[in-house]
Parts: sequence; C-alpha cells; structure tokens
Amino acid sequence: MFGLIGHSKSFDAARRNALELGFDHIADGDLDVWCSAPPQLVEHVEITSPAGPTIKGAYIDSCFVPEMLGRFKTARRKVLNAMELAQKKGINLTALGGFTSIIFENFNLLQHQTIRSTTLEWERFTTGNTHTAWVIARQVENNAPALGIDLKTAKVAVVGATGDIGSAVCRWLSMRTGVGELLLVARRQQPLLDLQTELGGGRILSLEEALPEADVVVWVASMPKTLEIEPSSLRQPCLMIDGGYPKNLDTKVAGNGIHVLKGGIVEFCRDIGWTMMQLAEMEKPQRQMFACFAEAMLLEFERCHTNFSWGRNNITLEKMDFIGAASVRHGFSTLNISPSLQISVA
Amino acid sequence: MTTLNAPEATAVEGMDALPDFTTDAYKDAYSRINAIVIEGEIEAHDNYISLGTLIPEHKDELAKLARMEMKHAKGFTSCGRNLGVQADMPFAKDFFGPLHGNFQTALEEGKVVTCLLIQALLIEAFAISAYHIYIPVSDPFARKITEGVVKDEYLHLNYGQEWLKANFEASKEELFQANKANLPLIRSMLEQVASDAAVLHMEKEDLIEDFLIAYQEALDEIGFTSREKARMAAAALAG
Repeated sequence: MFGLIGHSKSFDAARRNALELGFDHIADGDLDVWCSAPPQLVEHVEITSPAGPTIKGAYIDSCFVPEMLGRFKTARRKVLNAMELAQKKGINLTALGGFTSIIFENFNLLQHQTIRSTTLEWERFTTGNTHTAWVIARQVENNAPALGIDLKTAKVAVVGATGDIGSAVCRWLSMRTGVGELLLVARRQQPLLDLQTELGGGRILSLEEALPEADVVVWVASMPKTLEIEPSSLRQPCLMIDGGYPKNLDTKVAGNGIHVLKGGIVEFCRDIGWTMMQLAEMEKPQRQMFACFAEAMLLEFERCHTNFSWGRNNITLEKMDFIGAASVRHGFSTLNISPSLQISVA
Repeated sequence: MTTLNAPEATAVEGMDALPDFTTDAYKDAYSRINAIVIEGEIEAHDNYISLGTLIPEHKDELAKLARMEMKHAKGFTSCGRNLGVQADMPFAKDFFGPLHGNFQTALEEGKVVTCLLIQALLIEAFAISAYHIYIPVSDPFARKITEGVVKDEYLHLNYGQEWLKANFEASKEELFQANKANLPLIRSMLEQVASDAAVLHMEKEDLIEDFLIAYQEALDEIGFTSREKARMAAAALAG
C-alpha cells in the first residue's frame, strides 16, 4: 500500500474540505482547534496501471494548514504525527506532499525519529522530489519548443537552483537536455558556487538580473509575497514553469507572450475514484496530481519499497531515469500548455 | 515538494530546552501535576477493582491491572519526593471529582460500557498522552519511572479496547452517549491543568492532540469509522 500525506491550501479551504468530507464538527473550529486536531486517514484509493498491476493507497490529511507555518512546534507535530499514522497503518511507502517535506527538511525532523512509542522508519517515506524534478525537466523539454523556443540556444533560469528539486533540474537540463545557458538563482552564494562547479557551467545571477535574460524560467522556490514582476521586462515568448508551492505565479504574470505552466503536475491515463485532488484544486481532479504523490504510486507499482527521494541533493540522473521510465510505463504524463495555445503559437 | 521561506532549524532548536527543576515556580506547578498523576493512578486502581464486580469473569485480570496502577502511584510519589515537592492531593481530588462522580453513577447502574470508556479509554489515553509529553521534559529520576509506567498504560488501554471490540455492536450506542457526557470533562481537565503544565514545558496544544491520537486509535481499534471517530473527538476539540 502507498500513502500520501497532504494538507489543505489554506485554513478556509481546510474548513470547507472538512465540511464536504463530513467532518462538520472540526470544520467549525478556529485555528487553535485545528492546531490540536490529529491527522486523519480520509480516503482509500485503488489504482490500476496500464502495465497491469493494481495497487491500493490511502490519503492522510495532516490537518496542517499554511497559516501554521509561524508555529514551529505545531508544524513539526503535524508532520510527525501524520507520518506516525501512515506507519501505524502499515503503509509501505508514503509521499510527503505540499509543505510536509519542506517542514521535514527545514526543521530538521530527522532528529525526531521517536514519536511516542513509535520509531519512524525513514525507508517508508519519500519526498517525491525525484519525480517532481524529472517532471519539471520534461515540462521544459516538451513546452519550450511548442512556444518556438529553441532550447539549444535558450537561456534557462532556475530560481531556487540549489534546492533538492532545483539542483536536480539543473543537472538534467545541463547534462541531458543541453540548454544554451543555465542561469542559476538562489539566496545563498556558497551552495550556488558548489553547484556551478558540479555542473561545470551556468551563470550565477540575482533574480532581477536573470529574469530579463531568460527564455525559460523554472521556479522551484516559494515566491516572496512582495515580489513584483514587470511583464514588459521579460522576453517574449517566455515559458515559466511554476514548480513552487503554493502555485501562485499565474497571479503575478501571464499573458502577452508569457506562458505560465503549473510545474510538477502529472496526469494519470484514467480516472481515479478519489476526492482528494478536487480539494487540491486540480483542473482535472480525477486524473491530475502532484508528481511527488505519483512517486509513491510508482514506487508501489515497481515494488520498490525504499525512501527513494530523501535528504538534500541526492537526486542523480540515474534515479531520474528510473522514476521517469516508471512514470511513462504506468500511464502518467506531464502537464503541458494547452494544445490550442500551441496551435496559435505555431 | 519545493522550498519555503521559513526560519532555519537552528533558530528554533532552543524551544525544546529542559525546564529548571529547582525553581519555586516549577515546584509549585509540580505539586499539583504530581498530585493529579498520583490521584489518577489511585482512582484507576479503585476503578479496575470496581470493574471486576461488573465483569466477574475478568476479575483476576482486572485486579492485576489495579495492582500495577498502585505501583505507578508509588513511583510518582517518589518523583515528587525526589524534587522535594509535597503533592497537593486535595486539589487532585477536586480535579477528578466530576469524572469520578460519573464513574460511580455508571457503576451503580451496572453500566460496564460507560465505566470502561471512562477508565480504560479516556483516563488511560489522557495518561498516555500526558506521560509521552512529560518524558522529554522531565528530570532524569522521573523520566525513568514514567517510561516504565507508559508501557503498562498501553496494556490497560488495550484491555478496554479488546472488551469493547468484542462487544462492539451492543456497546455502540452507550459509547456515543458516554463519550458525549465525559469527553468534555477531559477537555475542561486539560484546560484546568494547562498553565501548570506549561511551567513544566508541556503545551496544551500537544496534550490535546496527543490525547486525541491515543483516543482515536482506541476507537479505531474498537471498530468506529473515521467519521464516527472524528465526530466523537470533536466533543473534546470544541471548547
């Protein structure tokens, strides 16, 4: 069995979702009530791969909401309690979705392996970042040409280049795709220099310097709330892959030759009888999902019960090859810009 | 998934620091918390003995559980002594008063399901969660004792769980009723103890969530569905 740990996009959304799921009494509670609400296993699903096997899974809502990010201990407890529940339910492999893996990483939860009487077995969890990175890289490869951008000569900016997903995307684009030039953007200098050395290239720039030069921008960092992007300063056409969480780039820029695509989203080849992705506000909730969730499914399909994506900067090209091949084999495709848009561009 | 503009882990590590066990403020709060724990164990002893009259076929097993509770009470008494604290037992008697009253009423009426819910589910889940949260912030002496106790308490929770599971259909309605009548008491007990617990570096939010996790796990094991569990637990959340 695979597991997915997710959460609502906001406190308001969480209350609406709870009502829809029949958890009326929690829905009425204020944020303090939610801070004390235990994780819930809200849904079981069954998925059949076009390659044959059928797997079972469960969706766990951690009852975390982004409004709790300022409460360190609450956020930590939500993540660890949801992980404990997944393990106690006997789930082989659980993906940490949304802010879950970010909290795990940033708050250094590796040192909290014992939750009450349970010792968390890390091999039962995956961040799903390998699949997310592969999907984002493929979204660049698939969609830039459709907009008339020639990747061989294009400048591709990766914002959040030194993160787990960002560095993997850089590796793939530089060694597999072969893009014209990589523009590396991140907050801290030393990791940027290390990445540049590893890649044997790429230009380190500030965000303000990189944006006007880039034909493609891959966002794998959260957008600062105050960030303003002047659309007229961007190249046209410009492909922007919104791989951050939450996905709000299209509210900042879009239109006039600037194409924003939700990054790290995949679509399964047939409907899945679940309600969870409706809550995540996917365009096609019966088929679309975060690539990190799909990674748990893929690992279950492949009977690969290990913490495939774990820690920072451990994503190799070989691992991306493995998960990418599994993704295709089991009927997942990456989200692309709409076909009508591709035709009009052509 | 991706990244977050969040405080670095190093900046928040200090929040798990141990309290100073020697201050007057700590000892004052401990005098009440320690008393609650001791009183809770003594009441548990009495309750298991009483349950033996309602479930005569399990009398010996229940007497064994009762003996363990008395041993725990002694262990926790020594924790107070070790810190030079006199447990405030009258406070603890009042603290357990309403729940004690409900147990006694159910006992007189021969309501075994209600008695089990109060003692073997609610009180045990309350104890387990509180002990788990106390262990990381306890003094070394108390830590050792509490770690031993918490293992036993799972056995007690398990006893009630198994009995109710075996008699689930017949018990369901009474469990709903008993939950409705008694879970709010646990909530107000948590509220009452919150400020003293905070002095011991145990936070109310943690106590409530951990209690609900233990309680919901028990309800899950007994046979309730997710929605039924959430509905039952909501009685504790809604303040």
